[in-house]
Amino acid sequence: MTAVADILEWARQQVNARVPKADLDQRDPDYIRDQLPGVWMLASLYFRADVRGLDRIPAHGPVLLVGNHSGGNVPPDTFVFTLAFCSYFGVERPFYQLVHNLVAVYPMLGWLRKFGTVAASPDNARLALESGAAVLVYPGGDYEVCRPSWQRHVVDLGGRKGFVRLAREAAVPIVPVASVGGQETALFLGRGQWLARVLMLDKALRLKSVPISLALPWGVNISDWLGHIPLPAKIVIEVQEPIEVTDDDQAVYDEVVASLQAGVDRLAAERRFPVIG
Amino acid sequence: MRVERRITLDADRDTVWKVLGDPDTYPALLPHLQRWEPITEGPPRVGSRYTVLWTIGSIPVGGVVEVVEFDTARDLAWINITGVTQRGRFRLRDAGPGRTIVTFRLAYHSDGGLLGLIADRIAAHQVGRSLSESLKNLQRLVEP
Repeated sequence: MTAVADILEWARQQVNARVPKADLDQRDPDYIRDQLPGVWMLASLYFRADVRGLDRIPAHGPVLLVGNHSGGNVPPDTFVFTLAFCSYFGVERPFYQLVHNLVAVYPMLGWLRKFGTVAASPDNARLALESGAAVLVYPGGDYEVCRPSWQRHVVDLGGRKGFVRLAREAAVPIVPVASVGGQETALFLGRGQWLARVLMLDKALRLKSVPISLALPWGVNISDWLGHIPLPAKIVIEVQEPIEVTDDDQAVYDEVVASLQAGVDRLAAERRFPVIG
Repeated sequence: MRVERRITLDADRDTVWKVLGDPDTYPALLPHLQRWEPITEGPPRVGSRYTVLWTIGSIPVGGVVEVVEFDTARDLAWINITGVTQRGRFRLRDAGPGRTIVTFRLAYHSDGGLLGLIADRIAAHQVGRSLSESLKNLQRLVEP
């Protein structure tokens, strides 16, 4: 057992050592401009992406965008929203997306950093907001993204309120971003939190879940660490009205969750079939 | 890609120019317009800038446009200075007494190599339809 703990501790150190500090200069507007038309076309055809209410985001200055997260380790909501934000405000407006450490260090995903993806940490988020950027964060993270597909329209940030303190300290508004469709890109069967605990991954790699799903091309997919081919589910995203941050963390958190859940309920009511939309 | 549509209107050039020469009327004129905000102040002229966003399918396309030609009752042209490379033009010419031919032209080019090229081709059909709808809206606004 001690040997396993040592190996996990070694793995944790290896991952942490590779988590890049938020080098905001890695975002490359020219690269985004090059990729945007073609990738938007693919997203539009494959996910029939529909993003509404971008005009609710303050036109200038830093803002914390808080979303509900779906789609396992291949979350189309982040992808689609990033494309929409860059199209709407132009690639010139700095915009960063916070992702799990493992995504930030994944060798094949280095190109994401050119789109403004940085590892999720309070320091990185603060750095990005202080630079005047818009920052997209998914507080539910790996916990929410692995929920079972039959809870696909439930917003569950897992009680994580760090984003409220972050917004208050940076004196920026919070804009909730509700989305549906991501949890229909595979059949997610459960979070596998027990598996994460048994394997001690919760302590070693900050992984609270080892999700179990049925996904292409694997069939039964344990952990989703290698990703999967998402089903072409229709992705609909709605930006909500900005929320002022007060001193009461719990009240702001509740307001954000209520706003997200109302948005998800509204979008879910428009859906006739899973995947098809 | 260059897309062009034209229409002959039963209105003189000055009447048509009252609409086309006032970009504040464009939200009523251009279909699928998601965002239209003047950036510069004062009446429209060469150098006036606007933030413009159209939707092509579900894709928002646009950026900051700058008026580069403002020839009263003849030509109004603009270019995009951010976003997809684009050049647009309204061209007014006489078509007999009290009649005007209006040409609406849009030339655009997406970056991104082959995918950009395919995106341009796919968008061409809807861009053409948007130009036609715009001219029909213009017709409703200027013809008695």
